[in-house]
Amino acid sequence: MRFDTVVIGGGLTGLVAGIRLQKAGKETAIVSSGQNALHFFSGSFESIGEPSRDITELFSESGIRLHYQEGVRLMPLGTFRPSALSLEDISLFPKEKFGNKLLLVNIVGYHDFFSSFLSQGLEEADMSCRIRFLNLSDMGINAPGEMRSVQLARTLDRNWEKVVQEVRLLLKDDDTVILPQVFGLEDGSIPGRIRQSLPAQVVFVGTLPPSVPGIRTLQLLKRRYEVLGGTYLMGDEVVQAHLHEGVVHSVVTKNLGQHYLEADNFILCTGSFFSKGLASTPEKVYEPIFGADVSFPPERSDWYNPSFAEKQPYLGFGVCTDAHLKVLKDHTPLSNLYAAGSILGATHPELGMGAGMCLRSALKAADSILEA
Amino acid sequence: MAPNEFDVIIIGGGITGAGTQRDCAMRGLRTLLVERSDIATGATGRNHGLLHSGARYAVNDAESGAECIRENLILKKIASHCIDSADGLFVTLPEDDLGYQATLVEACRASGISAEIIDPDLARRLEPSVNPEIIGAVRVPDASVDPFRLCAANMLDAKLHGSQLRLHTEVSGIIKEGNEVKGIRTRNLITMEESDFYAPVIVNASGVWGEQICNMAGTRLTMFPAKGALLIFAHRVNNMVINRCRKPANADILVPGDTVCIIGTTSSRIPLEECLNVAVTPDEVNLLITEGAKLAPGLLSTRILRAYAGVRPLVSEDNDPSGRNISRGIVCLDHELRDGIKGFVTISGGKLTTYRLMAEMATDMVCRKLGVDKACETAVKALPGSEDGSYEEVAKKIWENPSTSQKAAASRMGSRVSRIRSEDRRDEALVCECEEVSVGEVNAAIDRLEVNSLTDLRRRTRVGMGTCQGEFCACRAAGLLAKAHGSVQRERKDLEDFLQERWKGNFPIGWGDTLREAEYTQWVYKNVLGL
Repeated sequence: MRFDTVVIGGGLTGLVAGIRLQKAGKETAIVSSGQNALHFFSGSFESIGEPSRDITELFSESGIRLHYQEGVRLMPLGTFRPSALSLEDISLFPKEKFGNKLLLVNIVGYHDFFSSFLSQGLEEADMSCRIRFLNLSDMGINAPGEMRSVQLARTLDRNWEKVVQEVRLLLKDDDTVILPQVFGLEDGSIPGRIRQSLPAQVVFVGTLPPSVPGIRTLQLLKRRYEVLGGTYLMGDEVVQAHLHEGVVHSVVTKNLGQHYLEADNFILCTGSFFSKGLASTPEKVYEPIFGADVSFPPERSDWYNPSFAEKQPYLGFGVCTDAHLKVLKDHTPLSNLYAAGSILGATHPELGMGAGMCLRSALKAADSILEA
Repeated sequence: MAPNEFDVIIIGGGITGAGTQRDCAMRGLRTLLVERSDIATGATGRNHGLLHSGARYAVNDAESGAECIRENLILKKIASHCIDSADGLFVTLPEDDLGYQATLVEACRASGISAEIIDPDLARRLEPSVNPEIIGAVRVPDASVDPFRLCAANMLDAKLHGSQLRLHTEVSGIIKEGNEVKGIRTRNLITMEESDFYAPVIVNASGVWGEQICNMAGTRLTMFPAKGALLIFAHRVNNMVINRCRKPANADILVPGDTVCIIGTTSSRIPLEECLNVAVTPDEVNLLITEGAKLAPGLLSTRILRAYAGVRPLVSEDNDPSGRNISRGIVCLDHELRDGIKGFVTISGGKLTTYRLMAEMATDMVCRKLGVDKACETAVKALPGSEDGSYEEVAKKIWENPSTSQKAAASRMGSRVSRIRSEDRRDEALVCECEEVSVGEVNAAIDRLEVNSLTDLRRRTRVGMGTCQGEFCACRAAGLLAKAHGSVQRERKDLEDFLQERWKGNFPIGWGDTLREAEYTQWVYKNVLGL
């Protein structure tokens, strides 16, 4: 099978690069192993600054509403973090004190939303906060095993109006309502509709993974990519690459076997350690598909900081590239393989960090291909 | 008697102290146990979790071997819910001297340990994970034991017999009148409150810290702390204990336990100052993996969960600083006879397997000093949780159709699992998915035996001991603890400490899947949850 570009990795980076290339009229395929970091997405693109038009357009055309405001957002353990570009679900505040009287609504039997930690953090930020619990047993949520974010969201998306009614009954003179982020798994308009239906500011706060807004973002980007004619190979992974004299000719996947995926260009966005884009043994850190160069110190003791709270060196390890994000192998760029996303580690500080870096490097890699 | 007066005070909340507390309480003594940290935080919780058959010691130390098998058989009866009677193998590899097998079997017979030479083919069938190259195998009645559960059950029974337990309480001095001990000065390390407690007899069961306690009492005891490093693997690779059939050496025992298995150990002398924070070195990790894979090659492809080390409290009975007379056996010292200090007893040395016997010896000495004439019953009376046989029978008595998590709870709590039985299905929600620990079980643990932190909770319920090492359950449990203690600030700090403790055991083995999980934890706690 032949494509203009084959993208290896179907997370945020792969989808953004794929959409960009499809829109430019290229024929592409994405090989996706299934789960990716969007399942744990906080909803904010760290350190990106004001987004370019490319980015806002790409998301709005996918049906994902972003907003940009330099400020802070409330974290699930009751702390605040500087944030700017975010999904619309995520409330951004100019300063930590965003209300006076807060009503924090949790769900009976749900242990993945930390109302006591939150209320402590809110009180430290000089806001008064009372916690109330909703009982969802009459919505058919009884089994303890159903008390996880995605399962809750499936039920609550059908019953969100009932939730609004219950919350209305709890509201007194509170100016803000805090709810867990368990709304809008498929229909992204639900959080906004809840906001409109309540006579108070509504703030959605994250839960333990999986992330409901993250999964929705993944589904919408994937749908957009497929509408543009892209081929998303779900549940497959690249097991081998064929290279000849510095050029990648094709890759072999687990499901397609002898039907190699051939392309003019390849983008490697398989993520870092957790997503298996980088692998490690006691002796080395390596990139398993192409054997690309990876920057890491030789002594294993230099990989870690013994203090968990400190910055961990290994999180900065990444695949080496040139300025156009062309992947280096034995210190020489491969002519048609680009790397983007978390697999770069901290090797390109100019692109930012986290999900923001994923967006920027994805567009940069796609543009390098389009300009070549 | 005033509330701060007791018949006997025990210093140290490891298995020796816990066993002594139970025995003293069962003989009707007003008993107090003080522990500087939490239960089973020293050598008790930092070993293989092996209930020795005695075969390991039979060749070099027949007395220890005989003690082990006697206690092994007793504990299988009285502590059945803490023990997994899987039996053990002593395997001979091609590079080993097969002649040692006969030496071992003969020594076992002399010590009363059943040791049966079996065909290597049968051994491979009984234990499919064993190195297929083995040229010899001996079957012995080894088993695995959960030391946390065992320790907690002893303390719980002591509590049921009226004894008091004070955790996070450090002994800052021994109160003496002339050559007679009268009590202890203590400081609670959480509240910083200082209290004195009085008793005519004090038992020093503080393991490697016995030297310091003896100093406080005005006598000398020379400890030879020996560090032993171990690795926990993420799966239960083997079902039987696998020992190397040769003279005891490094990394020659692989023990299954609950959902995991443990290889160890190394042995190296360390200074007393380092005992509170022992770190595992890369060389030790390499040695454990290489030698461990010779017993069960599957270990090479199994994820390592954690590296940790314990310190054996070895004692030189005659205070010879060279350590030539280090005893690996039980050391029960009457300091009145030895040093002229009245009312002071030290119990040390020994093994996890022989804790009950050690407790009996110490308690006999206490009773003699107090003039109490009551026989020891700890060898015949079951521990709380072990009265009703196997966990499957226990679960069936309570639930019509026990779920896997109910069975898991029954295997941890034994018959006491009925205490968490609840009409409210919400209590069945799982806090820890790897070990299937429910909200009800966590709350029962908080009620039953003082739980101050997430690591305390882990020792009582296995929350966070499984494959994910507390990825999400730490957070869920922290929520429950915050509620129980009414302090979120304290709980946030606790969560940070828990993650640090977990990282300490992870970075020495930080590659492969362990590094993947570590990266995920960094991401979740720092970027998603905002710790």
